[in-house]
Amino acid sequence: MRSILGAAIDQEADVTLVDMEAGLEHLSRSGGTLAYADVLLVIMEPSRKSILTAGRTIVLAEELGIPRVYGVGNKAQEGDKEFFEEVCAEYNVPLAGIVPANADVVEADRRGELLALGEGQPVRDAVVSIVDFVDHALVGIIGAH
Amino acid sequence: MKLGIVGKGGVGKTTLSALFAQEYARRGLRVLAIDTDSNPNLAHSLGLNSEQADDIPLLPRSVVVGTGGDGAMTPAELISTYGAVTPSSVTLLHAMRITQAGAG
Repeated sequence: MRSILGAAIDQEADVTLVDMEAGLEHLSRSGGTLAYADVLLVIMEPSRKSILTAGRTIVLAEELGIPRVYGVGNKAQEGDKEFFEEVCAEYNVPLAGIVPANADVVEADRRGELLALGEGQPVRDAVVSIVDFVDHALVGIIGAH
Repeated sequence: MKLGIVGKGGVGKTTLSALFAQEYARRGLRVLAIDTDSNPNLAHSLGLNSEQADDIPLLPRSVVVGTGGDGAMTPAELISTYGAVTPSSVTLLHAMRITQAGAG
Protein backbone atom coordinates (compact mmCIF):
# COMPACT_ATOMS: atom_id res chain seq x y z
CA MET A 1 0.00 0.00 0.00
CA ARG A 2 0.96 3.59 -0.35
CA SER A 3 2.45 5.51 2.54
CA ILE A 4 -0.02 7.45 4.65
CA LEU A 5 2.02 10.44 3.58
CA GLY A 6 0.99 10.02 -0.04
CA ALA A 7 -1.35 12.40 -1.77
CA ALA A 8 -4.58 11.21 -0.13
CA ILE A 9 -3.67 12.53 3.31
CA ASP A 10 -4.03 16.06 2.00
CA GLN A 11 -7.78 15.47 1.77
CA GLU A 12 -7.91 14.85 5.50
CA ALA A 13 -5.49 17.44 6.81
CA ASP A 14 -4.44 20.87 5.62
CA VAL A 15 -1.08 20.40 7.29
CA THR A 16 0.54 17.03 8.00
CA LEU A 17 3.57 17.58 10.19
CA VAL A 18 6.05 14.77 10.77
CA ASP A 19 8.35 14.98 13.79
CA MET A 20 11.11 12.71 12.52
CA GLU A 21 13.19 10.44 14.65
CA ALA A 22 16.89 11.19 14.67
CA GLY A 23 18.72 9.40 11.89
CA LEU A 24 18.69 9.68 8.15
CA GLU A 25 17.05 6.46 6.98
CA HIS A 26 13.71 8.21 6.63
CA LEU A 27 15.29 10.08 3.75
CA SER A 28 16.14 6.92 1.83
CA ARG A 29 15.04 6.64 -1.78
CA SER A 30 13.03 3.48 -1.22
CA GLY A 31 9.97 4.42 0.71
CA GLY A 32 11.60 6.94 2.97
CA THR A 33 9.01 8.56 5.20
CA LEU A 34 9.86 12.01 3.98
CA ALA A 35 9.97 11.32 0.26
CA TYR A 36 6.54 12.95 0.10
CA ALA A 37 7.37 16.11 2.03
CA ASP A 38 6.53 19.44 0.42
CA VAL A 39 8.72 21.25 2.91
CA LEU A 40 11.58 20.07 5.08
CA LEU A 41 12.64 22.15 8.06
CA VAL A 42 16.15 21.19 9.14
CA ILE A 43 16.49 22.15 12.79
CA MET A 44 19.94 23.18 14.02
CA GLU A 45 21.32 24.41 17.29
CA PRO A 46 24.56 26.30 17.81
CA SER A 47 26.72 23.17 17.84
CA ARG A 48 29.07 21.78 15.21
CA LYS A 49 27.55 18.29 15.51
CA SER A 50 24.03 19.51 14.75
CA ILE A 51 25.38 21.48 11.81
CA LEU A 52 27.16 18.44 10.36
CA THR A 53 23.96 16.38 10.66
CA ALA A 54 22.05 19.20 8.98
CA GLY A 55 24.52 19.23 6.10
CA ARG A 56 24.15 15.50 5.47
CA THR A 57 20.37 15.78 5.74
CA ILE A 58 20.23 18.62 3.24
CA VAL A 59 22.27 16.65 0.68
CA LEU A 60 19.92 13.65 1.01
CA ALA A 61 16.82 15.83 0.84
CA GLU A 62 18.01 17.42 -2.36
CA GLU A 63 18.81 14.01 -3.86
CA LEU A 64 15.26 12.92 -2.98
CA GLY A 65 13.90 15.95 -4.76
CA ILE A 66 12.13 17.51 -1.79
CA PRO A 67 11.21 20.85 -3.31
CA ARG A 68 11.70 23.17 -0.34
CA VAL A 69 14.43 22.60 2.22
CA TYR A 70 14.96 25.30 4.82
CA GLY A 71 17.19 25.72 7.83
CA VAL A 72 15.92 26.72 11.27
CA GLY A 73 18.27 27.87 14.02
CA ASN A 74 17.09 26.85 17.48
CA LYS A 75 18.30 27.65 21.01
CA ALA A 76 19.95 30.79 19.72
CA GLN A 77 21.91 33.01 22.05
CA GLU A 78 23.09 36.48 21.25
CA GLY A 79 25.45 36.38 18.30
CA ASP A 80 24.18 33.07 16.93
CA LYS A 81 22.21 34.77 14.15
CA GLU A 82 25.38 35.25 12.12
CA PHE A 83 26.41 31.67 12.83
CA PHE A 84 23.16 30.24 11.44
CA GLU A 85 23.22 32.63 8.48
CA GLU A 86 26.73 31.52 7.57
CA VAL A 87 25.86 27.84 7.87
CA CYS A 88 22.78 28.18 5.66
CA ALA A 89 24.75 30.19 3.11
CA GLU A 90 27.39 27.45 3.08
CA TYR A 91 24.73 24.75 2.57
CA ASN A 92 22.88 26.91 0.07
CA VAL A 93 19.49 26.70 1.81
CA PRO A 94 17.32 29.60 2.93
CA LEU A 95 17.19 30.28 6.68
CA ALA A 96 13.49 30.15 7.59
CA GLY A 97 14.07 31.71 10.99
CA ILE A 98 15.85 31.68 14.31
CA VAL A 99 14.26 30.62 17.60
CA PRO A 100 15.84 32.05 20.75
CA ALA A 101 16.93 29.93 23.69
CA ASN A 102 14.23 30.39 26.29
CA ALA A 103 13.61 29.39 29.89
CA ASP A 104 9.85 28.85 29.38
CA VAL A 105 10.54 26.13 26.84
CA VAL A 106 13.18 24.48 29.02
CA GLU A 107 10.76 24.44 31.93
CA ALA A 108 7.86 23.01 29.90
CA ASP A 109 10.20 20.31 28.57
CA ARG A 110 11.40 19.51 32.07
CA ARG A 111 7.83 19.07 33.28
CA GLY A 112 6.65 17.31 30.13
CA GLU A 113 3.83 19.79 29.82
CA LEU A 114 1.90 21.55 27.10
CA LEU A 115 3.91 24.23 25.43
CA ALA A 116 1.48 27.11 25.67
CA LEU A 117 3.18 30.39 24.88
CA GLY A 118 1.34 33.67 25.02
CA GLU A 119 1.43 36.43 22.45
CA GLY A 120 4.64 38.37 22.51
CA GLN A 121 6.58 35.47 23.95
CA PRO A 122 9.85 35.48 21.96
CA VAL A 123 9.76 31.79 21.02
CA ARG A 124 6.16 32.07 19.88
CA ASP A 125 6.98 35.15 17.82
CA ALA A 126 9.78 33.23 16.13
CA VAL A 127 7.46 30.30 15.40
CA VAL A 128 4.81 32.61 13.91
CA SER A 129 7.48 34.18 11.73
CA ILE A 130 8.72 30.79 10.49
CA VAL A 131 5.17 29.63 9.71
CA ASP A 132 4.70 32.86 7.76
CA PHE A 133 7.93 32.15 5.89
CA VAL A 134 6.73 28.66 4.94
CA ASP A 135 3.30 30.05 3.94
CA HIS A 136 4.88 32.54 1.59
CA ALA A 137 6.95 29.77 0.01
CA LEU A 138 3.79 27.69 -0.44
CA VAL A 139 1.32 30.14 -1.89
CA GLY A 140 -1.32 28.12 -3.67
CA ILE A 141 -0.61 24.88 -1.82
CA ILE A 142 -1.61 25.45 1.77
CA GLY A 143 -4.56 27.60 0.74
CA ALA A 144 -5.97 24.90 -1.50
CA HIS A 145 -8.50 23.43 0.87
CA MET B 1 0.82 20.33 2.72
CA LYS B 2 3.31 17.93 4.21
CA LEU B 3 5.97 19.34 6.49
CA GLY B 4 8.91 17.31 7.77
CA ILE B 5 10.85 18.33 10.86
CA VAL B 6 14.35 16.84 10.94
CA GLY B 7 17.62 17.33 12.78
CA LYS B 8 20.08 15.79 15.16
CA GLY B 9 18.73 14.39 18.41
CA GLY B 10 18.33 17.04 21.07
CA VAL B 11 18.11 20.09 18.81
CA GLY B 12 14.47 20.68 19.75
CA LYS B 13 12.56 18.95 16.94
CA THR B 14 9.69 17.89 19.19
CA THR B 15 9.37 21.25 20.88
CA LEU B 16 9.27 23.08 17.58
CA SER B 17 6.97 20.48 16.01
CA ALA B 18 4.44 21.09 18.80
CA LEU B 19 4.70 24.85 18.40
CA PHE B 20 4.39 24.76 14.61
CA ALA B 21 1.41 22.38 14.82
CA GLN B 22 -0.34 24.61 17.36
CA GLU B 23 0.30 27.70 15.28
CA TYR B 24 -1.23 26.10 12.17
CA ALA B 25 -4.22 24.98 14.27
CA ARG B 26 -4.58 28.51 15.65
CA ARG B 27 -4.83 29.68 12.05
CA GLY B 28 -7.85 27.45 11.59
CA LEU B 29 -6.16 24.68 9.60
CA ARG B 30 -6.74 20.97 10.13
CA VAL B 31 -3.44 19.68 11.48
CA LEU B 32 -2.23 16.11 11.66
CA ALA B 33 0.99 15.63 13.64
CA ILE B 34 2.90 12.37 13.32
CA ASP B 35 5.47 11.47 15.96
CA THR B 36 7.90 8.90 14.58
CA ASP B 37 10.33 8.97 17.47
CA SER B 38 10.93 5.67 19.24
CA ASN B 39 10.36 7.50 22.50
CA PRO B 40 7.39 9.66 21.57
CA ASN B 41 7.17 12.95 23.42
CA LEU B 42 5.14 15.07 21.10
CA ALA B 43 1.97 14.07 22.96
CA HIS B 44 3.18 15.84 26.09
CA SER B 45 4.16 18.99 24.26
CA LEU B 46 0.68 19.00 22.73
CA GLY B 47 -0.93 18.80 26.17
CA LEU B 48 -1.74 15.12 26.71
CA ASN B 49 -0.79 13.44 29.97
CA SER B 50 1.19 10.19 30.10
CA GLU B 51 -1.92 8.04 30.40
CA GLN B 52 -3.54 9.67 27.38
CA ALA B 53 -0.28 9.40 25.46
CA ASP B 54 0.04 5.70 26.24
CA ASP B 55 -3.51 5.12 25.05
CA ILE B 56 -2.73 6.28 21.52
CA PRO B 57 -2.60 3.17 19.34
CA LEU B 58 0.58 2.67 17.41
CA LEU B 59 0.30 3.33 13.70
CA PRO B 60 1.88 0.37 11.90
CA ARG B 61 5.22 1.33 10.45
CA SER B 62 4.20 -0.18 7.14
CA VAL B 63 1.47 2.43 6.86
CA VAL B 64 3.97 5.20 7.37
CA VAL B 65 6.64 4.09 4.96
CA GLY B 66 4.27 2.34 2.57
CA THR B 67 6.19 -0.91 2.35
CA GLY B 68 3.48 -3.41 3.17
CA GLY B 69 0.37 -4.16 5.14
CA ASP B 70 -3.13 -4.31 3.77
CA GLY B 71 -4.50 -1.43 1.81
CA ALA B 72 -7.99 -1.68 3.19
CA MET B 73 -8.00 1.56 5.21
CA THR B 74 -8.42 4.98 3.75
CA PRO B 75 -6.53 7.91 5.29
CA ALA B 76 -9.77 9.00 6.97
CA GLU B 77 -10.17 5.56 8.53
CA LEU B 78 -6.53 5.51 9.62
CA ILE B 79 -6.90 8.88 11.31
CA SER B 80 -10.11 7.92 13.11
CA THR B 81 -8.61 4.59 14.20
CA TYR B 82 -5.15 5.72 15.26
CA GLY B 83 -5.46 9.45 15.85
CA ALA B 84 -5.79 11.26 19.17
CA VAL B 85 -7.22 14.76 19.28
CA THR B 86 -5.14 17.03 21.50
CA PRO B 87 -6.34 20.17 23.36
CA SER B 88 -5.22 22.54 20.61
CA SER B 89 -7.27 20.46 18.09
CA VAL B 90 -4.13 19.01 16.51
CA THR B 91 -4.67 15.31 15.76
CA LEU B 92 -1.71 13.19 16.81
CA LEU B 93 -0.53 9.87 15.38
CA HIS B 94 2.17 7.70 16.93
CA ALA B 95 4.29 5.87 14.42
CA MET B 96 7.40 4.55 16.04
CA ARG B 97 9.40 1.71 14.56
CA ILE B 98 7.75 -1.68 14.97
CA THR B 99 11.03 -3.18 16.16
CA GLN B 100 11.12 -0.64 18.94
CA ALA B 101 7.46 -0.69 19.85
CA GLY B 102 7.10 -1.77 23.42
CA ALA B 103 10.80 -1.37 24.07
CA GLY B 104 10.20 1.84 25.94
